Amino acid sequence: MAHVRTALPGVLQQIQLVSRLRWRILRNSLGRKNSRWDIIGVVLTGVISGIFVLGLCFAFYSGAKYSVAKGQYEWMTLLLWAIFLFWQGFPIFVAGFGANFEFKTLLRFPLSLSVFYIIGLAYGLSDFSAIASVLWLLSLSIGAGAASPGIFPGVLLLVLTFILFNVTLERLIGSWLERIFARRRTRELFVGLFVLCMVCLNFLNPAINKHSSSIRPLALRLFPYLDWFPPSLTGRAIAGVAHLQPTQFLVGIVGVLAYAALLTMLLWKRFSAQYRGEELSETAAPLPVKVEVPTADSDLSGTLLFLPPQVAAIAGKEFRYLKRNGMMVLSLIVPPIMVLFLATQFAARRPAVQGIPLSSELFFPGLMAYLILILMAPAYNSFAYEGRGIQSYFLAPVRFRDVFLGKNFVLVTILVLEVGLSLGALIFINGLPPVTLLAAIATGFIFTVAGQLSIANWSSLKFPRKLEFGKMQGQRQSGMAVLMAFGTQILLGGISTVILFAGKWTDNPWLPAEGFAFLGLAAIGGYFASLDGLSHMAESKKETLLEALCR
Amino acid sequence: MSEIAVHTQELTRKFGNLTAVDEIDLQVAAGQFFGFLGPNGAGKSTTIKMLTGLLAPTSGRMQLLGLDFAANAVELKRQIGVVPEGMGLFERLTGAEYLQFVGQMYGLDRSTTRHRSEELLEFMQLVDRPKTMIADYSHGMQKKLALAAAVIHGPRILFLDEPFEGVDALAAGALKALLTRMIERGTTIFLTSHVLEIVERLCSHVAIINKGQLVGQGSLEELRAGISGEAGNKLTLEQIFFSIVGKDGTQRPQIEELSWLM
Repeated sequence: MAHVRTALPGVLQQIQLVSRLRWRILRNSLGRKNSRWDIIGVVLTGVISGIFVLGLCFAFYSGAKYSVAKGQYEWMTLLLWAIFLFWQGFPIFVAGFGANFEFKTLLRFPLSLSVFYIIGLAYGLSDFSAIASVLWLLSLSIGAGAASPGIFPGVLLLVLTFILFNVTLERLIGSWLERIFARRRTRELFVGLFVLCMVCLNFLNPAINKHSSSIRPLALRLFPYLDWFPPSLTGRAIAGVAHLQPTQFLVGIVGVLAYAALLTMLLWKRFSAQYRGEELSETAAPLPVKVEVPTADSDLSGTLLFLPPQVAAIAGKEFRYLKRNGMMVLSLIVPPIMVLFLATQFAARRPAVQGIPLSSELFFPGLMAYLILILMAPAYNSFAYEGRGIQSYFLAPVRFRDVFLGKNFVLVTILVLEVGLSLGALIFINGLPPVTLLAAIATGFIFTVAGQLSIANWSSLKFPRKLEFGKMQGQRQSGMAVLMAFGTQILLGGISTVILFAGKWTDNPWLPAEGFAFLGLAAIGGYFASLDGLSHMAESKKETLLEALCR
Repeated sequence: MSEIAVHTQELTRKFGNLTAVDEIDLQVAAGQFFGFLGPNGAGKSTTIKMLTGLLAPTSGRMQLLGLDFAANAVELKRQIGVVPEGMGLFERLTGAEYLQFVGQMYGLDRSTTRHRSEELLEFMQLVDRPKTMIADYSHGMQKKLALAAAVIHGPRILFLDEPFEGVDALAAGALKALLTRMIERGTTIFLTSHVLEIVERLCSHVAIINKGQLVGQGSLEELRAGISGEAGNKLTLEQIFFSIVGKDGTQRPQIEELSWLM
């Protein structure tokens, strides 16, 4: 038979095919038992996020309406800056809620580079930050239109240009960060630089306070340069539309388009590299062949001899995984630095915030609660990075209680270390708080951590979700695990607050420490009692776990 | 009679309305090299998952080394080694780190684990990339490492799910050499494979599963005799396989149907 040449589908047809594929994947995933829980979680999280987004939609609508009605367009610029910073900053600090689909897998099909680019860009619009920002920008346009209907088409055009700029920039930052985090050397360098910057930030406020008289004019001199950035350009162009000044409008829109074109060029370069089959693994370059038998020097679990061998093996593996996961390292480093930052900004030089005195009774437990809140969050989906390795736990002669003990040991060690260091730094900066407060913090720590561990372990078995190493885009936590974490932390936070205040109300400064000690002991007892139950649960849930993590 | 290493009675696994494994009775004697064959989707991997504790049976009994699996899971896991479907490796560890981890999980002391890891890595020719993550290993290297991890504790029964899939001739040679040595030392090996020539060369006994049901079991001679009615005939395992599995219409499709490919 003669060889038949088939014509490749066109750009639109290819995009349509990929959209249909995405829809089918989503639809089929709804049928999975584990996904149903996930969807409930996503719906509940969606409702909470929806309230937040819609609330701010109203705020942006009102802000824009007021700004146009009063002719104060600088307010519009401020609103645009706020949206810009949220859109670009949120995905960096919070792994997005974007679609969990590796769009690079599409490369096996005969997709053209343009289709690959458009699809890649479209995925940028599926992030939570992008959806929220687009809604806010549209509210802002409607608000401006409500104040002056004639300017609506012009504002809408500017907003759409601004959206194009933002989505391109977000994808560019994301793809570069992924590239940086994919390789050990660049990852370590980046984390080092990041930590250095954060530490430098701690000295910012004291420096500003010290040199406020000389910094102020300098800052005022620098402000006009912000005019040449897209949020200001868009704001000025909106003012141009309202004042019927075509030059101002044209300068603004052409400026934003120029930014978008430049970013498109850079993103096109990145996506072209991916399109050509860029390898981002740890050892992309061929290694020199060197016959060398690995020694046990790197046997980390050898230093954990006080633990049973299986627990030590799991703890050793957890430490290694932690060390090699750039995003996890970052999420562990940021909270204590933030504590230091808050301590130096609000407590050291200014013992009050906006005239309200900041007592150590609030400040110390508040910052500790923040640390526990952030650092405990990954424990609610603790098998996220195991991948197919999860099978090892079920094949080896271990009970699942040992797996949890190993994992929890690592987490508690990190928590103790970070909380201890932060507490030490806080004491150094702000002075020693009362002994009763220190005792309450220590016992409160035990209560909140032990209390959460059992629930977090349960959540890990009940709502597992696979996450990819070192990736920040397209990663979505299990919706129910997120809700469990929030719910538990709100509950324990509420109990802790009541106990802390109970000491004040009863004039018994030792009462919080005593109360936390009692609850802490109960929580530890509950934790150990729950381990056998969790082992049984792991056995009964192993199919769900394997299905969710071995995909 | 020799000791029975693997014994199942009416072992069944259902997924909703689908019966993946339907009341199979398997018997594997200790020290046997046992091949478990069947077409795609026949229930091979489901059976191996049940026998190794990765999947709970819906009904039926399983005994390994004379012990009931459900009641002695931890003790039995100590005695078996497994290369599961997908290999089950922790991909962000290096090969040596993974073997150390597995050794400790099976209760080996550190020096034994180190010694055996070194030997296994050398035997499997994985020593030239000591700092490479498993994620960056080739498929064949991952298979070799998975096998090394499965044998590090000296198991009495070794379960291998498609050990030769995606493995080159050199790596396959290393795997075969290791398996042969283990058989000589009395280990029972239970493997599934689609490469019938390898099964024929290595295995003394086979079982064939089709659509969840056991359709043949015994030594190669017994299976040959069962088909032709006489012992000593020269039927290959492939012919036996097609003869047994092909009875229900799943025989080789007619290539004329895909004439547009040529």
